[in-house]
Amino acid sequence: MTHTVRQHAVVTLVLLLALPEPARAYLKFSVQTLRAGTVTLQWDASRPVRYFVTNRGVPGVSASDFQAAVARAFDTWEAVPTASIRFQFAGFTNAEPFEDDDLSVLGFQNKPELERVLGATGFVVDVLTGEIVEADIFFNSAFDWSTASAGQPGRFDVQSTALHEIGHFLGLGHSALGETEMRGGGRRVLASGAVMFPISFGPGNTADRELQPDDIAGVSDLYPEAGFRNATGAARGQVTRGGRPLFGAHVVAFNPATRALIGGFSANTNGEFQIAGLTPGPHVIRVEPLDDADVDSFFSGEDAVDVDFQVTYFERLFIAPRGGVGGRFVVEVRPK
Amino acid sequence: MINRLLPLLFLLLPAPTLATVFIPADFAELVTGCRAIVHGRVVDVRAQTTGDRRSIETLVTLTAVEHFKGNLGSTVTFKVPGGQIGRYRRVLVGAPVFERGDEVIVFLNATSPSIPHLYGLSQGVFRIARDTGGRDVVTPPPVTAQGIGAERVVRGDPARRPLAVDEFGRKVRDILERVR
Repeated sequence: MTHTVRQHAVVTLVLLLALPEPARAYLKFSVQTLRAGTVTLQWDASRPVRYFVTNRGVPGVSASDFQAAVARAFDTWEAVPTASIRFQFAGFTNAEPFEDDDLSVLGFQNKPELERVLGATGFVVDVLTGEIVEADIFFNSAFDWSTASAGQPGRFDVQSTALHEIGHFLGLGHSALGETEMRGGGRRVLASGAVMFPISFGPGNTADRELQPDDIAGVSDLYPEAGFRNATGAARGQVTRGGRPLFGAHVVAFNPATRALIGGFSANTNGEFQIAGLTPGPHVIRVEPLDDADVDSFFSGEDAVDVDFQVTYFERLFIAPRGGVGGRFVVEVRPK
Repeated sequence: MINRLLPLLFLLLPAPTLATVFIPADFAELVTGCRAIVHGRVVDVRAQTTGDRRSIETLVTLTAVEHFKGNLGSTVTFKVPGGQIGRYRRVLVGAPVFERGDEVIVFLNATSPSIPHLYGLSQGVFRIARDTGGRDVVTPPPVTAQGIGAERVVRGDPARRPLAVDEFGRKVRDILERVR
């Protein structure tokens, strides 16, 4: 299928892309289609997803170094034992990311209009069917980059950034599992519980080359390997304030036995959430506002995100079942 | 009891890791780093092909209510990545999406003579809502330091409340005064 931007203009359909998918965890993307209603944005996992890499490096990172680093990041996602998704490097290319050419391309680009953005992922979606036509990832060449195995002071790690962006490429949105501090007029990440946390820690760090439980649950929920659904459980519930549904709350399930944190969001107008991929057993459920975040990097903006409440814990432990969804529960948050 | 113990459990996050995408800007950096700060209401959202005709971008037009920094006139148009033309939609993950009627404060930058863009992508957007008392408030409010030492940003901090738009404007002007 070949299409160009010019051809796009031939047919005008009034369809909306709804990000994120309502009532699901980890912010999975979805698209509202004309033919199939709302569908989760995901690749056809029955065959490898092909990607190209631009044949151009930047100072300190050759094109082949870059390709090797992103291949390692793809391999990391592919190696999740509870998920079933494969990738195939299709070759180097002169094509650029974010050109509508039916090719999924990763590469460095100079985008002065994206200051303070290390990298970004974009999709072209056929809103008639919900099919992903292509997905591209750009790495901002305005920054200094490295592929050194132990990282390099003053340079951002290609593999770490690639791992995050490939999470988007797969259909995952941002995670809010992270903590920050204000220091010296700037903002610094103290800890993150997901590769999909959107804020950079800083240059020189390579720790984000490894997926965390939230990332693994997310990709496994999107592309489940046989047995995943039967081996894990899901939490389902609703967040309310004053008895009314609350949109945009961050809901975290913490497993004291494994110390795993898996997050989701009350992401529909009924304030409902569902967090899959939980290890069977007791979990602490914490509900918190996104009052320290750029909500536009989590939600698409058509609904107002309510952030004016305090952190609230579900008063009982939630017991994740082995397979299936636990009993629905409601968390009434405390206003500020 | 559970409410007293559980916050400690949630501090047991894994060791710090490098996340990605955004290099977060302090509010003062946002204010000083952009060319213009505009409070306005979205009156038009229009997708178009980019200048090289290879992709899609969206032009967002505001009717300006107030300029907190710079002056781009009574009608301000800026661009955001992505948009929909025909049956195809290009989405940039993390890029804000605007609709007619949205009331926002946007931090804009531009490399003349190009059309302004959001400074720091989603970091350059503050959305305005009407609170129960009928006030127009910025929510969530900007995260700002209270002192000069390190301060952990605590989600749900009761002190971080939606901020009245005029108070937001005062914060901007205070920062601009300090750097003058």
